[in-house]
Amino acid sequence: MEAVDDYQAAITLAAKPLLEEGFIEAAYIEAMLDALEAYGSYIVLTDYFALPHARPSKAVKQTGLSLLLVREAVDVKTKPVHVFIVLAAKDDQAHIQVLGGLAEFLMEPQNIQDIIAASTRDGVYTLLKERWTLT
Amino acid sequence: MKILAVCGFGVGSSLILKMTITKALKELGLDAEVVNTDITDAKSYRADAIFTSPQFVSDLQGSAKATLYPIHKYSDKEEVKQQLKTLFNQN
Repeated sequence: MEAVDDYQAAITLAAKPLLEEGFIEAAYIEAMLDALEAYGSYIVLTDYFALPHARPSKAVKQTGLSLLLVREAVDVKTKPVHVFIVLAAKDDQAHIQVLGGLAEFLMEPQNIQDIIAASTRDGVYTLLKERWTLT
Repeated sequence: MKILAVCGFGVGSSLILKMTITKALKELGLDAEVVNTDITDAKSYRADAIFTSPQFVSDLQGSAKATLYPIHKYSDKEEVKQQLKTLFNQN
């Protein structure tokens, strides 16, 4: 994606694959946007990266992640973000292993730079597959 | 030593922060128990320190039973290390 209007549009778009595949209901997207308003922008976990999510609820049918890369930085409450990974967690447990790999991945700032620099969907996918260890 | 990692829901960001703290502790050769939870539980939870966002630090001031350490970027290992050094030097 080249550019989006605002972070609300970015998060909605980032969550679209999960919505279309039936992992989440539209209410979960609302819950993520509400959380950002209520709790602030700590979901920007490191420079240029955000992990939009909300509490596990009935609006989540299956635990999953989806990714959006935006060429033009999106302003998330004054923080510039290129990479959005939506986290949908069905319960308190199922996503813990996945996030362990993500935590490691994010501690290396170069990884996010490399995703931003990736030119194709396949490029992003290959990079994640190589560097995001699922423990 | 017990450190609490706090976010809005206690499931996503605080878990990432917990993992960053655990990794930073290991690299610094320090030892502590790290638990993640949500902002509501954080108000009554007994711990030595709370690591959370600057906004939640403001929300918790007055009610939390632990020293508050703001973390701007939950995945920033260097920022977490600085706060851990401050915490361990004070205890």
